[in-house]
Amino acid sequence: MFSGLSRRRVLLLVVLTCVLLITLDKRGNAVIDRARSLFARVVQPIDTATQALMLPVERAWNGIVHFDDLQSENEALRDQLEHMRGNDVEARSAVLQYRELLKISQLTSKFQFDTVKAQVVGESPSNFQNTVEINVGGRQGVAVGMPVTDGAGLIGRITKVFADRSIVLLVTDPGYSIAAQVLSSSDSPGTGTTTPTESTLLNGQPVSDLTSSTTSTTTTTTTQPLPPELQPLNTTTTAAAVTPGVTTSTAVAVPTSTTLPPVVRETGTLQGQGADQPMLLRFVDTTSAVTSVKVGAVVDTAGGTSSNAPQGIPIGIITHIERQTGSSSALVEVTPNANLKSLNFVAVVLYVSNQDAIGK
Amino acid sequence: MRNIILGPLLRLVPVGLVALSIQRVIFGAHPIYGVKLQFVLALVVAAGAGGGADRGAVAGFVLGLLYDVSGNTPLGLMALAYGLAGMTAGYVHSFTPDPQWWLASIFAFVGAAVGEIAIPVAEVITGQSGWITSDARITIPVVAGFAALMCPALMPVGRWMMGVKRKKWKAMLE
Repeated sequence: MFSGLSRRRVLLLVVLTCVLLITLDKRGNAVIDRARSLFARVVQPIDTATQALMLPVERAWNGIVHFDDLQSENEALRDQLEHMRGNDVEARSAVLQYRELLKISQLTSKFQFDTVKAQVVGESPSNFQNTVEINVGGRQGVAVGMPVTDGAGLIGRITKVFADRSIVLLVTDPGYSIAAQVLSSSDSPGTGTTTPTESTLLNGQPVSDLTSSTTSTTTTTTTQPLPPELQPLNTTTTAAAVTPGVTTSTAVAVPTSTTLPPVVRETGTLQGQGADQPMLLRFVDTTSAVTSVKVGAVVDTAGGTSSNAPQGIPIGIITHIERQTGSSSALVEVTPNANLKSLNFVAVVLYVSNQDAIGK
Repeated sequence: MRNIILGPLLRLVPVGLVALSIQRVIFGAHPIYGVKLQFVLALVVAAGAGGGADRGAVAGFVLGLLYDVSGNTPLGLMALAYGLAGMTAGYVHSFTPDPQWWLASIFAFVGAAVGEIAIPVAEVITGQSGWITSDARITIPVVAGFAALMCPALMPVGRWMMGVKRKKWKAMLE
């Protein structure tokens, strides 16, 4: 039906058009950006209709297949929530102290910046892009480069902004990298060390660190019914059961003076390696991974003039350190705190790096 | 050539929008063992297997362009990859003008594999992130297998979309 020449012409036209479009888009083209924005509006009602059609089917399927899993997960989460409530009270107090210290020292932190709450409305349909789409955009003050977090930590940065939508590049994408820091101390959990249990902790700190200066005192307290969020504190009380309103004698280990171990701050660059893969941390000082950093250490954003995120946003935890033979450096793998597979509500930190701000 | 490109556009765009929506809402949001099945790619290779290499290339270009506009990839990247996929699948017509379903499925498998491999390759060439990672060992055969399975069902849609009428062979009268 078609001559060989016709076929070749069609193919050549397709390839050349693609190359031209890629070049135009890579150089930044207002017409293409506008077309994208317009297309997003056209596709939105079709997506909504497809979602509405699929919802009953999806729910029925989930009801049949995932009911038991959901029930057991629910129980596990309730248990976890009880523990987290206790930790939350402690963390809130620490955050307040931290903010006060930052204020005194005139330092910047993530707490200085406003956030815009958003919901994840879609994810990349492709296997090669680790992105999600959120329902806030330029109208809400979102700009390219801003960090995006969820309750657990950093999830990525804004790469494209439309009027009411934005595309977020996830931290696991190979194209994502950010300045990160690891704060570690000699009491940080390390390779081969046992995981501290509840009985060995006092307010999150191992009792062994405090024994040199800890005295056991007996205090008399009158307990009142506590609000639920304040109940399960992580203390080593010896009282078996406490009845509200009843005066009891409780032996509590109270530190009289504490020798805090020195905290070491190591900085480097964290890079994604693809979905389901841990991120890779490269230290500025390559020997850091071998000497001072241990498995279990917390990694957070380092900040800085060129960084796209302010200091102190938690990213993840070091899960693996592999010493390289014949080299002083090591491969450090970091697992993100956030569950990137089930993102729902997120927050865009309205932070513009100093470099970008000067550029504007 | 004008007919090949302009003729089916009226059908390609609306069908493409629906296919893209199905991809985003169903297959993109529900990966199977970490692999997102590619419905649009399956439609492209089915159009190629049903209409030939040139029509497959055009279908791949248009549907890929829609994919690019809706996503985060540079405009033209998926169009190039899907154009290659459609063209490869369409080469089945070099063997027979009316391929049987299983032969079309084989070419759809190859075409989809080519299209899926072409994405990270094109990303690297255009300075985007990514390269063929170890995950591709699973991703590519699964995506290609899905396209091959869907090919017999999607081929009539692909043919209609590209304005191809199935040939009716008649025995020669003596």
